[in-house]
Amino acid sequence: MKQLISGNEAIFAGALRAGATYFAGYPISPTSEILQKAAAHSEKNPTFKFLQAEDEIAAAIATISASLAGAKAFTGTSGPGFTLMQEALGWGHVVEAPCVFVNSMRVGPSTGMPTQPAQSDLLQIKAGSAGDYYPIAFYPYSVEECFRLTVTAFNAAEESLSPVILLADAFLSHLYEVADLEKIELATIPRSQEPLGKGQRLFTGTAHDKMGNVKTSDPVIYREWLRELKDRHSRVAEKYPLYEYLPCKGSPILLIAFGMTSRIISVLKERFSIFRPIRIYPVLQNELREITPSYQQIMVIEGSDGQYASWVEWAIGRKVMKVSCLGGGFKLNWIRSQIEDQLKGQGR
Amino acid sequence: MMDRPYKDLLKLRRFPHTWCPGCGIGSVLKNVVMGMKELGWDHNNTVAVSGIGCSGRMSGYMNLDAVHTPHGRALTAAEAIKTVRPDLKVVVLSGDGDLGSIGGNHLLHTSRRNPDITVFCNDNEIYGLTGGQAGPTTPQGTKTITSPQGEPYLPLRLGRILTQQAPYFYARTTVYHLNHLRTCIREALLWKGFSFVDIISDCIELNGRRLGFRTAHEMLKWFDERFHIVEGVRDRLQEDELGIAKSETEKVPTPKEEVKVKAEVLEEQLKPFTLDELQTFDGTGGKAIYVAYKGRAYDLSQSPLFQDEKRMRCHIAGKDLTRDMDVAPHGEDLIFKFPLVGKIEGQGQGLG
Repeated sequence: MKQLISGNEAIFAGALRAGATYFAGYPISPTSEILQKAAAHSEKNPTFKFLQAEDEIAAAIATISASLAGAKAFTGTSGPGFTLMQEALGWGHVVEAPCVFVNSMRVGPSTGMPTQPAQSDLLQIKAGSAGDYYPIAFYPYSVEECFRLTVTAFNAAEESLSPVILLADAFLSHLYEVADLEKIELATIPRSQEPLGKGQRLFTGTAHDKMGNVKTSDPVIYREWLRELKDRHSRVAEKYPLYEYLPCKGSPILLIAFGMTSRIISVLKERFSIFRPIRIYPVLQNELREITPSYQQIMVIEGSDGQYASWVEWAIGRKVMKVSCLGGGFKLNWIRSQIEDQLKGQGR
Repeated sequence: MMDRPYKDLLKLRRFPHTWCPGCGIGSVLKNVVMGMKELGWDHNNTVAVSGIGCSGRMSGYMNLDAVHTPHGRALTAAEAIKTVRPDLKVVVLSGDGDLGSIGGNHLLHTSRRNPDITVFCNDNEIYGLTGGQAGPTTPQGTKTITSPQGEPYLPLRLGRILTQQAPYFYARTTVYHLNHLRTCIREALLWKGFSFVDIISDCIELNGRRLGFRTAHEMLKWFDERFHIVEGVRDRLQEDELGIAKSETEKVPTPKEEVKVKAEVLEEQLKPFTLDELQTFDGTGGKAIYVAYKGRAYDLSQSPLFQDEKRMRCHIAGKDLTRDMDVAPHGEDLIFKFPLVGKIEGQGQGLG
């Protein structure tokens, strides 16, 4: 059945398709609709549990704990809430709790511009929590893709045994499109871990050996543990090398954009080649290395001051041009003029 | 050889444990697993959750699935686990810093949502693992390494916070009062809903020695001096009382309405005065001070405003003050406070 549905609603529908039975959250623009959907759903379906927590710290901890207890769990927030969730995100990687964190980005830092879209939480995915960890993050660009990628995120979470991040932005969360979600067929991966309650295991955020014994001063055990974590995450990430590449014949310029910016610049596909990464992290290094050498100029158009551009430069070892759509200014004409200015060498 | 079946619940292969000799946490852990064993709680039906700190290590020594959360988050984790798996029993073992300070917000809200979990708080009034910093429950005046002049603030009264909203179960006990400790643990485990056992415990190495105690035993004796056990079920506990405060339903105190019955004085019983007669009661020569107000005579002898000069601004003893009220900075209730002594002839009540 075709229906008019928003990005937030599609994310919630995707979570249900993936088999989610637990949601914890705290009200925040622009993801409060997911919280509201979850509350309404739990009233009708007692098997679906819902918690409106006292803050995002509790929401994230509850999500991970619910996952350990056996539920497919997820939470939804925006930049400031995601900042509070960083503690739990790091913990989730160590205790190996598969779950999904939805972060619909708005203009920051701090409270910023709560209703304006941004794409500036990318570094927060990778480096918000203490220590080394290897998160996986996806970023849809349409309502239907919100649905699909939510299921993908849950699957990747089960495979990597860790929290997976689904990015969106204020624009996408509130974007309404017609979609027929019921018709979409997607594979889902069941819970991969034995839930709490039968074993004698210790799920600890402290460094530990394979038996769960706390080992806080053994570098050999730590390195072995971290290498395994990294390998596992790399393996899972390689399973999902998601991107969209629209080559334009004769164009010497490649535009890189994702989420809402990619949607806005899609009308430029007659003039420029466009590369849209969907797996935002780990960066699509192999794919970028394959595609970029044939272009004279590479330009990253994003809603942050060059966060993804710095990753592209790292991945391909080459300078790129940047168009930063800051403060929620996602306008095609403005972006077009910026591109022209950049190409004339006048851009800032 | 004594039979110690509770040992099944401990990961003895991980012993010796991490705690200092003389520490109270060992008593807490042992008595909690003893209580659990008696009730048949084990790895088949129970999950233990801990926060961070010395006391946060307790769950790791228990022979069941245990979750060791980030600092302060034990209650949230326990609540989520109980929500997803109502068939499991969930116990939280943590410390006063973890539960009361960094986890303070979760303490307020998890206790409000009242999940069926049992919390054992090793309340040693100090941050032990990090070296002896002042904690939320450190008594005022205590010298610690972060309060070298003595802790300036009053401690967090966990007992008062947790007994504000029913249903609640709050028990305070110490590691010295062993039988009482066991009773509290058992009652708390059996309580349906959020139960909290505040176990006053000793940290001899990083708190006790600075306080002047030479041994853990001296510190335990100090608990005996500071606290006494109260019997029976209470609504609240005083700060020096050990016992159980519990309530299943909110006791809303109904405000007592004070019924103001003004003695009815019958018109006929009032002594009649003329205004001329009234003027003789001006307070001179030891006489009373009467004034007229709305057809009634009042005895204002006791009014401080009519002492010495027999007047206060424009109020003159022995006069009708009815019209003065219009410009007075006070209401007529000031007059009604004084004894009614009669009525003015020729004037009904309420006439000016």
